[in-house]
Amino acid sequence: MSATARPASPPEVFRLRASNYSLLTLRLLSGDVQAVLPALGDQFRRAPGFLRFAPIAIGLDDLGGEQVDFHALIHGLRALEILPIGVVGGSQPLRAAAAGAGLPTLRPSGQRETEVEAPSPVGAPPVNVAPPVMAEPPRPAMPRTMMVTQAVRAGQRIYAQGSDLIIIGSVNAGSEVIADGNIHIYGALRGRAVAGASEDGEARIFAQNFDPELVAISGFYAVREGLSSTPIGRGVQVRLDGEQLRFDPLG
Amino acid sequence: MAQVIVVTSGKGGVGKTTSSAAIATGLAQRGKKTVVIDFDVGLRNLDLIMGVERRVVFDIVNVVQGEAKLSQALIKDKRVPGLSILPASQTRDKDALTKEGVQAIIEELSQEFDYIVCDSPAGIEKGALMSLYFADQAIVVTNPEVSSVRDSDRILGVLQSKSKRAEEKKEPVKQHLLLTRYDAARVERGEMLKLEDVLEILAIPLLGVIPESESVLKASNAGNPVIMDTESQAGQAYSDAVSRFLGEERPHRFLDVEKKKGLLGRLFGGRAA
Repeated sequence: MSATARPASPPEVFRLRASNYSLLTLRLLSGDVQAVLPALGDQFRRAPGFLRFAPIAIGLDDLGGEQVDFHALIHGLRALEILPIGVVGGSQPLRAAAAGAGLPTLRPSGQRETEVEAPSPVGAPPVNVAPPVMAEPPRPAMPRTMMVTQAVRAGQRIYAQGSDLIIIGSVNAGSEVIADGNIHIYGALRGRAVAGASEDGEARIFAQNFDPELVAISGFYAVREGLSSTPIGRGVQVRLDGEQLRFDPLG
Repeated sequence: MAQVIVVTSGKGGVGKTTSSAAIATGLAQRGKKTVVIDFDVGLRNLDLIMGVERRVVFDIVNVVQGEAKLSQALIKDKRVPGLSILPASQTRDKDALTKEGVQAIIEELSQEFDYIVCDSPAGIEKGALMSLYFADQAIVVTNPEVSSVRDSDRILGVLQSKSKRAEEKKEPVKQHLLLTRYDAARVERGEMLKLEDVLEILAIPLLGVIPESESVLKASNAGNPVIMDTESQAGQAYSDAVSRFLGEERPHRFLDVEKKKGLLGRLFGGRAA
């Protein structure tokens, strides 16, 4: 599930934590909602109270190219007091249709993320990316790059979820930029940059003026103290070579 | 509608209150009806710098809590016509301020004044947030040292996200940099950050550079805003800054070490007067 977070501001009113839950999955073997719902109704009448108000995921893997009327399905399931909260698997058009009806795509835990979700801004600064809107089906096939047109200032934190991050200005000391993909900084990098945050060792960091507090790729990090031999103040790309961060001049 | 200006910095002791007093006085000297509000509830200083500490009856907390009318709490400056001071409370804390209460005060002051200068407390907690929330413009006071620049950077981010203009997605708060306590000799020796370095990091327009000057402390202790000391470099620099704020072109002065020093200058260590 995609989560849209804003920075916790004092006083802290929420915390965001990744959690794993067991969910029942309702695997659809037919896309015909009018056939599925009565069958389900029969099943549940025989066991009253069973699954009452239980959240379930809808499995789409067995459907192939079939279409599903998700609006009717959600409506019918709710009438049976079953609460669908998302879909699992299935084809891209099916998932998009489900998203259009308000059912986000769930990711089975333990499986690496293969989907790219619409980026959601985590930091405070104005970013020209709207948080994902449920009403319109996103086009996950084309990951949008998150673009920040202003300086990232001390205390600000920006997370490009599932995408690359481009920063036109500088990343100032005391700030943090994070991306699941690559990070490109056209100003100076004086703060922290974390690329490949969802363990993508192929991600890289590019900065026109490389002067960071910390850089990390896929969990491998280097603090400034360890960067004495790197070309500080110049254009640099950072990449992961095995378990070693490599710093190469740009251009 | 009055323009609301917050004078802020994040860090303490960089010259917010001195600058608030000087800028408010300078605006009033140029014929703008100006009120300066002390938001530092519990650590009230502005009245001292403005030399009105013996005339404080009511304060901003009394007004917010409905114990006094705004007109009763406002102190009219005796030196400059059109200048008023709204003091902070010394006996309360910042939680005594509410957004609604401050909004009511600012709306009422807007009827009468051209400029409302809000002297922010240090930090990024409630008092500081309250002082910047309603701002149309922000004067960010920074010293040429790393920690001050870092805190100013932080407060610029707060202005971008926590001000009323940001919350209502209006045109952002207009930001100005005021670099204070600038000591050209120490900059030359590499002991202080250069103006260009500060500008590069903060990336906002420069309103003025106020040189380190003994006249600032002298003026503070005497309760005279330093801008009224037209002999001093700091006073002149503040005057230039106010002119620039009102849209006039003024070259930046006092950025370099004075070339020739006389015998007296050398004897007395060559600090700016």
